[in-house]
Amino acid sequence: MKTRTKKIIGWSVVALIVAALIVGIILTDGLYTNSEDISEVMQDAVLHEENTVDIFGFQANPGLVSAYLVTIILLVAAALIRIFAIPKFTRVPGKFQLAVESIVGWFDKLAKTNSPHRNSFLGAYIFGAGCYIFTGTLFELIGVAVVSSAGNSVVLPAPLSDINGAIAMGFLSYFVILSGGIVSNGMRGVGRTLKDFSLPISMSFRLFGALLSGLLVSELVYYYIALSFVLPVVVGVLFTLLHALIQTYVLVMLTSLFYGEVSEPYEKKAKVKKKKAVKQ
Amino acid sequence: MPLNINWQQILLHLLNLVILVVGLYLLLYKPVKKFMKKREDAYKEREESTQAALDNAKAKEEEYSSRLAGVEEEVSQKREEAAKELAEVRTQKLQQVAQEADDMLSSARERAQKEHDRIINGVSDDIKEIVGEAAEKVVMTSSVNDAYEQFLNAAESGAKSAHAGKKKTVTSMSKADKKVGARKKK
Repeated sequence: MKTRTKKIIGWSVVALIVAALIVGIILTDGLYTNSEDISEVMQDAVLHEENTVDIFGFQANPGLVSAYLVTIILLVAAALIRIFAIPKFTRVPGKFQLAVESIVGWFDKLAKTNSPHRNSFLGAYIFGAGCYIFTGTLFELIGVAVVSSAGNSVVLPAPLSDINGAIAMGFLSYFVILSGGIVSNGMRGVGRTLKDFSLPISMSFRLFGALLSGLLVSELVYYYIALSFVLPVVVGVLFTLLHALIQTYVLVMLTSLFYGEVSEPYEKKAKVKKKKAVKQ
Repeated sequence: MPLNINWQQILLHLLNLVILVVGLYLLLYKPVKKFMKKREDAYKEREESTQAALDNAKAKEEEYSSRLAGVEEEVSQKREEAAKELAEVRTQKLQQVAQEADDMLSSARERAQKEHDRIINGVSDDIKEIVGEAAEKVVMTSSVNDAYEQFLNAAESGAKSAHAGKKKTVTSMSKADKKVGARKKK
C-alpha cells in the first residue's frame, strides 16, 4: 500500500511539472502580448480620452453608458418586484421577501439612527444611492463590451469609476444634505452645511479614487496574461464584492451622518450671566 | 477640463441619479415600507388588545378574589347569625315545650284531683245513702237486733254485689241493692 501511494504521488508531481512547463512556454510566446502599452491602457481607464462611446452623435464616456444601463436594470428589477412580488407579501415573510425587507429596513434604520429628527427623505435617498453604488460596482463583473468611437472593444466599467459620475454622486449627496439643513433650520442649516464646503469634493474623489483603484488593479491584472490564471477570481470577484459593500456603506453612512447633523433642531444655549465680583 | 471632467456628462449623471432615486423610491422603498408599517401596526394593535385583555383579566381576577374574600366573610357572618338564631329558636322551643309540659302536667293534676274528689264524693254519698237506708230499715223494723241483722245482710249483699261485678245478675238484689248499684255505676 505504501509503495503504491508513493508511486501515485511521484507521477502526480511529474505531471504537474510538465503542465507548468507547457503553460510557461505558451505564455512567453510573443503572440499573447498586448498591442497597447500598459501606461496607455491605464491612462485611458482614468481619463477616457480615447475610448468614448457614440450615443446618437453624443460622445459619452463608457461610465455614463454603464450608469444608464445600471439605472435601467435597477428600475426594471424594482418594477418586477413591485408588480409580482410585493402584492404577494405575507405577514410571515419568505426568503425573497425577507431579503427585500432587510435591505429596505437597513437603509431606513440607518437614516433613523443617524438623523432622528428628519429622515423620511434621507431614507429614500440613501436607499437609491446605496443600490446604485452597489449594483454599479458589481456591474463591471458582467463585462458588457461595446465598440468605442475609435473602433476598439471597450468593456463597460463601473459607473463611478468615471470621474463625472463620481462628481455627480458627491454633489448630489451634498445637495441632499444642504436641503435637509434648509428644511430643518433655514439659513442656519445652510450655514452649517456650507461649513463643510469640502464635503462634496471629498465625497466625490473618495468614491472616484476607490473605484478607480479597483479598475486600475483589474486593468493591470488583465493586461498581463500570465496573471490571468486564478488571480482574477480573487481580484475580480472578491475584491469587487468587498469594494461594492464598502463604498456603499461609506457614502451612505457619511451622507446620513452629515444630514443628521445639519437637520438637528437648533437649541438656544442658556446665557450664563457673568457674575461681577462685588468689591466690598 | 483637467481629468476629462465634462459638465454635460456630470449633468447627465445627475439626471440619471435623480431618475433612479425617484424610481426606486416609488417602486420599491415606499411600498415595502408601507407594508412593513402596516404589519408593525397590526402587531402593535394585537399586542395592545392582548395587553388590554390581560389587564381586564387581571382586574377581574382581583375583583373576584376580593369578592370571594367578602363572600367568605359574609358566609361566616351568616353562619354566626344562623347559629345565633337557631340557639334562640331552640331556647324558645324548649321554653315553650317546658311550658306546655307544665301546663299539661298541671291540667292532668287538676283533672286527677277532680276525678279523685269526684270519686271520693261519690263513694261517701253511696255510703251515706246506704247508711241512711239501713237506718230507715232499722227504724221501720221492730227490733234492734233485727234491724242490725238486716243492716248486716244488706251491707253484705251490697258488698257481694259490688265484688261480683258483672258476673252476677242484679235481679236477685233487693230494691235497695239496686239503688246502691245504680249510684255506683254513676
